[in-house]
Amino acid sequence: MMQADISLEAALNALLLADAHALDGKDMSGWLGNYAEEEAASYYCRSAENSEHGFALGFMYDDCRSRLEDRVTFVNDIWAGTFQDYRTRHFVQLTSFDRIDATTLGMRSNFSVFMTPKDTGITQVLAAGQYLDSVRQGKNGELKLLSRRAELDTSVLPRYLVYPI
Amino acid sequence: MTDIKLSWPKNYNEIPKEAFVREDIYAEEVKRIFHGTEWHPVAHESELPNPGDFKTYRLAGVPLLIGRDVDGVVRVFYNACSHRGNQLETAVMGNKTEFECPYHRWLFDSKGDLVGCPNPREFLPGFNKADYPLAQPRFDIFFGLIFVTISAETEALLDYLGDSQNCLRELLAGDGRLKLLGYQKVRYDTNWKSYTDNDGYHAPLLHQAFKMLNWQGGKGRQYTATHRGHICFESALSVATGPSVLKDKSLIEFKGQDPAVGSRIVSLFPTFVSTKHLDVINLRFATPIDAETVEVHYAYFAHQDDDEEMVRHRLRQSSNLLGPCGLISMEDASVFHRIHIGNHTPGSAIFQKGVHDPLKLESEFLQNDESGNLPRWEYYRSVMGFKRAAA
Repeated sequence: MMQADISLEAALNALLLADAHALDGKDMSGWLGNYAEEEAASYYCRSAENSEHGFALGFMYDDCRSRLEDRVTFVNDIWAGTFQDYRTRHFVQLTSFDRIDATTLGMRSNFSVFMTPKDTGITQVLAAGQYLDSVRQGKNGELKLLSRRAELDTSVLPRYLVYPI
Repeated sequence: MTDIKLSWPKNYNEIPKEAFVREDIYAEEVKRIFHGTEWHPVAHESELPNPGDFKTYRLAGVPLLIGRDVDGVVRVFYNACSHRGNQLETAVMGNKTEFECPYHRWLFDSKGDLVGCPNPREFLPGFNKADYPLAQPRFDIFFGLIFVTISAETEALLDYLGDSQNCLRELLAGDGRLKLLGYQKVRYDTNWKSYTDNDGYHAPLLHQAFKMLNWQGGKGRQYTATHRGHICFESALSVATGPSVLKDKSLIEFKGQDPAVGSRIVSLFPTFVSTKHLDVINLRFATPIDAETVEVHYAYFAHQDDDEEMVRHRLRQSSNLLGPCGLISMEDASVFHRIHIGNHTPGSAIFQKGVHDPLKLESEFLQNDESGNLPRWEYYRSVMGFKRAAA
């Protein structure tokens, strides 16, 4: 592996961890901040079962930057105080990446997410799956998510979702 | 049937909370209701558009194989080999013209006929493959919606649906010519009856989105169809007005034809809920897993005549609005959990909104009443054989 690849891999890992950190901290502004400031920025969360059968329908389908911003409003404002809150811990592992063009990279990683509802205190697996990401590389080399698809092996969720996976 | 004791209050608007949590009651519900004389929607034909398409589903534990045979005819089988009962198909959905049981390689065609089995000369004398097709429950179809009943005694499907037929047909786009968009599947930590006991009262109160988007309805009606207490909601579609907190307003746009009765819900006893709201067509196939868990498969549909733009609109609206993570429904999911915890306390759940006389049942209700659920509770009580206290 060349030196450039090693530093790129480290930067991609930092982006993965930044997203996990924001989600586990329920920092929706931080979550949004990991996405490119482009109209095409998108986040999808859907079952691998749907994908395998050619269905684009998901648990969350935010296909533009304004939908991402509205996702922050859902969590922070619209749903506030109506649900049993739960902690999450995202474990992510980069599995591959490749360069698509001068400013775009493709990245795949595995994830597992534990959840602990505050009322029961019992920890269980919320979902496992893989992230299929497009990553935008800025002029100074900084990386942001252009598109993320959280594809869930977990086709039957054990619980409703408040926060993105 | 086992005689289960539960003291039931004299007032129609009081439901004993024990009914939601007792294991012995649940075991009896499976016998009397889920394996009893009720019809259960398990799929829509549009989930199996092509010859050979199939879907598997478990109805209160009973494994079903719902398929379209090579001639295009929809059939429902028990998903178990006619030999030793091994689960025949393990995929959730797919396309096959033959189903082979791997255990002893018995082979069935898409019509359920046994077409091959190894070493038949060593079987009992007189063995005939024609005597061993896949077993079938009774099933019937209403505008593409496939219903199954385990009992031979259940009345005809149209009688079962009664006055809910019109609302259900309209909800199925009037002609049942749907196109599957995909699924959201989830388990809720709640008794199946709490899941289906959602009411008209809570909508503008629990769901802050309605308030924040200045999106108020309340002008519609709900009515009870048949003595089972199937509930139909019909209301004019209200759309959000005024300044929106959403940057992408297209999420809650209505692009359909007629807003006059643009919002419909049909809730059939025991667990089926279907809804058409804005441009979302959603059929929720639900089954109890145990006394404390219900599994819901939210299936979403477009219409076969939709153009590409409409399909995309339905796709993003369906994904984000009414499911277990939806803008105006995630809170329902949380309430399902919380009400189940609360049901482990003594006493009865009390219904107030829309109740005029606690000793009388009505059949016509306002959109935001909660009393629309009471006729189905009375039917539940009678099926379960619980004796109501004297008035």
